[in-house]
Amino acid sequence: MSDFVYFFTFQDSSIAFVVIGITLLGIGSAYVGTYSFLDKKALLGDAISHAVLPGICLGFMLAGEKNPIYIVTGAFLSGALATFLTSWLKSNTRLSDDAIIASILSIFFGFGVVLLTVIQKSGNPEMAGLNQFIFGNAIAILEEDLYIYGGLAVLIIITLTVFKKEFSMLVFNADFGKSIGYPMGAIRLIFNVLMILAVVIGIQAIGVVLMAALLIAPGAAARFWTDKLSKLLLIAGAFSAVSGIMGTYVSFVIPQMPTGPWVVVFLSLFAFASFLFAPKKGVLSRYVARRYYLKKTHQDHLLKAIFHGIEKGKSSFPIEEIYQSFPYRKGETKQSIDNLVKSELLINNQGFIDFTPKGKSEAKRIVRLHRLWELYLNEYMNIAPDHVHDSAEKLEHILTPELEALLENRLNYPKLDPHQETIPRDNDEL
Amino acid sequence: MIINVESPILEIHDLTVSYDQSPVLWNVDLSLPGGKLIGILGPNGAGKSTLIKAIMGLIPITGGYVKLFDRELNDVRSRISYVPQRESVDWNFPASVLDVVMMGTYGKLGLFRRPGKKEKKIAMDCLEKVGMQSFVDRQISELSGGQQQRVFIARSLAQEADLYLMDEPFAGVDMATETAIFQLLQEMTAAGKTVIVVHHDIHSAMNYFDWIIMLNLHLVASGPKTDVVTEELLRKTYGGKLNLLTKVSDIIRQKDFNPLKS
Repeated sequence: MSDFVYFFTFQDSSIAFVVIGITLLGIGSAYVGTYSFLDKKALLGDAISHAVLPGICLGFMLAGEKNPIYIVTGAFLSGALATFLTSWLKSNTRLSDDAIIASILSIFFGFGVVLLTVIQKSGNPEMAGLNQFIFGNAIAILEEDLYIYGGLAVLIIITLTVFKKEFSMLVFNADFGKSIGYPMGAIRLIFNVLMILAVVIGIQAIGVVLMAALLIAPGAAARFWTDKLSKLLLIAGAFSAVSGIMGTYVSFVIPQMPTGPWVVVFLSLFAFASFLFAPKKGVLSRYVARRYYLKKTHQDHLLKAIFHGIEKGKSSFPIEEIYQSFPYRKGETKQSIDNLVKSELLINNQGFIDFTPKGKSEAKRIVRLHRLWELYLNEYMNIAPDHVHDSAEKLEHILTPELEALLENRLNYPKLDPHQETIPRDNDEL
Repeated sequence: MIINVESPILEIHDLTVSYDQSPVLWNVDLSLPGGKLIGILGPNGAGKSTLIKAIMGLIPITGGYVKLFDRELNDVRSRISYVPQRESVDWNFPASVLDVVMMGTYGKLGLFRRPGKKEKKIAMDCLEKVGMQSFVDRQISELSGGQQQRVFIARSLAQEADLYLMDEPFAGVDMATETAIFQLLQEMTAAGKTVIVVHHDIHSAMNYFDWIIMLNLHLVASGPKTDVVTEELLRKTYGGKLNLLTKVSDIIRQKDFNPLKS
């Protein structure tokens, strides 16, 4: 607990620095990543993040120490080479996208691991920190390194904000952009540069293996919550920043604990929670909507059953008889009757069920929609009368008043359905 | 039958276009008059969209040239509007109807600058022209196919151009909308604009277009509809792929280079 207070009150200025750094970095990579996720290029980010490893190692070998300038430059160049090779292979060979990405990723990463082993064998005392580039360690980042990473992150965020309209055009409809004279090739190039930069600044904190998660997961999780681009970017940035800070905290509390995997754990929690609980698109809300629909359907069928009874000349409806007409669903039926009584569509008079005026009108409406739809299928789509019932049984619950009016109009306010049953209207006597 | 005009608004000279080396349009030569509603007809794979994309410089051309308003494309871009095929974009992109229509103003707005009140006003007016004003804030993913087409047409109107190139704007559109859009296009040509439309239905083409271009890998006909819509030319256009031409394309594709490239 004291660790928690110590960390989050930022008494230690170096912790405050790291937190600011990881926040900027998280927002920057979430911004870039969200665009590339919308552009369906999520895997490219993965390829780039693996591909920066040889550059880091070469930078280290050239400098002979962990010099941030050398390492960032090396990482950037090797990421750029990988990106260039990806698009070059695409336009000059017949290899598919996934084959190209998979090859680039594994070849570069393999080469990087070889270089890393060579450095470790060389016995350079500085090399201890280099392992951190695999899984990342945010706490171990030096303050002067943070200036570089933070500065680059700010550069990414500003560029994306200034070019918002251009990047949206690139992702949504690049051909149109080209047709109005925008330099879409240059805009794509800038975007790729930002993507590589986002990877480069993330590698020390998150590591090359998991950096792709920080690019893609925030946007993918945020997509469940909104359909607006500006909100999408904000939510993605927030998910990413919070996950980054939490991951850093774990690295702080448990020494030697890599940051990257923990950031991914927290990001996964956000993604999973979004998948489950987001309104409209989440699993839970879709489940609830479906439950509600099924409940409504059963109530509609119940009203219809009583209506059909009246049509056949029955005058009293003991509740037990209604239960029997829905075999094996007594509990559900009881619940439906209670609900219908509560919404004043039915009355329960000591075990005998009857319509209220409102309930009768609602029952007529459902039966009317059912029979209008049957007639429409029969007359306009030439479907035989014995094949129209099933479709009507489903659509009677969802046809809107607007469609009802349209059906009435097309069919010229018909009296009978294809089975010669009366189509009930509100002021008809039963 | 290919009818040429004096001082054309669009001139295509000996245009050849290839995809993956194999030619999909052979030596197209045509000129078009201004102020007309022009239809491009032809079977699937005849190169109709390819022709439009080549005019807009969206795909490299193997040979020949295109002149618009007697100028190079880059000099007159602001006077030209291009409507891509509806299926060519991802309608799940998080944007509203207004966002998309506003893109029509980006050409004049230029890079960096953000659209403001003026651009919004233009977009709203154009949405009204296509009868979509009540959908301003709707997410584009929630639109029907016909509504998506109307949004694209509104975006095109927002460009305030003189020449419009539309790729299949009637695909997936119901009859009532088709009629309404054709009326709008006719009003535009009456006001002196030129509208070129890739279209698939000969029947409605006969009703609405002034001038018709028929394509089947090569140019079969180009001229006023009364001159070019003849049984013979229709058979040439729609009577199946040209077997020999397709075979030649196949041979070229198997080469390591494109022998047609100049």
